[in-house]
Amino acid sequence: MKKIVVPGELVTEQRKRTGDHVFVHNGQIYSDTVGITNNESTTASVVPLKGIYIPKQGDILIGLVVNELFSGFLVDVNSFSLSYMSKDRIREPLKRGSIVSVRVSKTNELNEADVSDARVFYGGEVFAVSPVKVPRIIGKNGSMLDILRKGTNCNFIVGRNGRIWAKGGNVPLLIKAIKKIEAEAHTSNLTNKMAEFLSKQRNII
Amino acid sequence: MTKEEKKIYVNKKGLRLDGRAVDESRPITIKAGVLKNAKGSCYLEWGQNKVLVSVQGPREALPKHIANPFKAIVKFTYRMAAFSVPDRKNPRPGRRDIEISKVCGEALEKSIFLEKYPNTQIEIWAQILDSNAGSRAAALTAASVALADAGIPMKDLVTSVAVGRIDGKIVLDLNKEEEDAPDAVDMPIAMMSNSKEIVLLQMDGLFSKKEWEEAYEVAVKGIEKIKQLQINALKEQFKLEEKEEKKTKTETKEKSVESAKETKTEKKEDKKELKDNKELSKAEAEVQ
Repeated sequence: MKKIVVPGELVTEQRKRTGDHVFVHNGQIYSDTVGITNNESTTASVVPLKGIYIPKQGDILIGLVVNELFSGFLVDVNSFSLSYMSKDRIREPLKRGSIVSVRVSKTNELNEADVSDARVFYGGEVFAVSPVKVPRIIGKNGSMLDILRKGTNCNFIVGRNGRIWAKGGNVPLLIKAIKKIEAEAHTSNLTNKMAEFLSKQRNII
Repeated sequence: MTKEEKKIYVNKKGLRLDGRAVDESRPITIKAGVLKNAKGSCYLEWGQNKVLVSVQGPREALPKHIANPFKAIVKFTYRMAAFSVPDRKNPRPGRRDIEISKVCGEALEKSIFLEKYPNTQIEIWAQILDSNAGSRAAALTAASVALADAGIPMKDLVTSVAVGRIDGKIVLDLNKEEEDAPDAVDMPIAMMSNSKEIVLLQMDGLFSKKEWEEAYEVAVKGIEKIKQLQINALKEQFKLEEKEEKKTKTETKEKSVESAKETKTEKKEDKKELKDNKELSKAEAEVQ
């Protein structure tokens, strides 16, 4: 059974493998954040409902080029500090203010990230959601993304840092749908609810 | 002051000037996530005290020389609004504001997993909108909720309360009138209740050892109650699911009742039809 826990609340008294956002104190497993835990799982872990983005290697992010250096660019990726992107292997012209999709190539112990594989976006809109809700926007094997694509006819990319770039189709409806997912991320059966919501909205239009 | 004029702070029934029992705190309401632009926020009313706390971060520590490459730093800012006291308070931070900011920040440092966010700072602003004794306890309790609301990993929620002595009796959560009593002792205490680790302890006046032990017990009981309110405030934000579940349950019940009625009526109709058919067949047989 799923339940909501707060920092310092007991997750389980059983001996289990520990996952994310838990810590062990006196042989018992406690949560360190506000989130959802599942008692039936073999791993004691908490899925956070609030939080910030910490870069991980391989993540695809939506960033903003904020400065140009001699050999690279500084990119704002909604993290603690600006990320460095080398000019090596950049094919497209970049300048300050460009919106890019990048891949985290390297992180260090200070949670600083180096990024690469830049792709520039021309046109479209960028909006932000809470980074901890991104897995819900993607869904299991991208199921939610499929529904959103079909429902809005938008071309969009979701960054792990909580930024979403969208172009074409019904972007206002997409934003509305994503805000709804963000608000109801902790509820179950969300994919079906969203399919229903989008079909209703399309009928209204 | 003559004997006749002497105030009775705790009467024979064990009730205080405002009608509370000795181990009863003033009414508390906590609401988390009240500010949209802050990462985490909390609004707390504790009797007449009104506190608004917001949290930003973790973000890059600035100026850079204050950054610690091994852990995050906590910047706690306690400020009283000019209108928070009967006479106008000079909004410039005074000795008291700076002291409370320091002790509250250090208290919260103990509960946060600072080593997860090196080179960063976590900023907490506690704005006292209205005060009537016990504002630092209120600010610390609210700050802890705001930190949890911001999603910052913590060992436990920090809960704070003041205990003290008036008229030789140990009481929980003194208000301003009680704090001004001639023999009053006021002791704010903050604790992480899981581990019973005390993270803030200040005292204005003196306790005997026996009084301290009694005061500690009263404080621990008070803290347990207040912590439950903090937990409720944090969970309150995610009640949507339960409401929806209730809704869907009621809808399904209604539907099932309706469908049951329909099936009943259908059955009746079927029986009628059967009867009619039988009668018809009888009549036909008679005719033949």
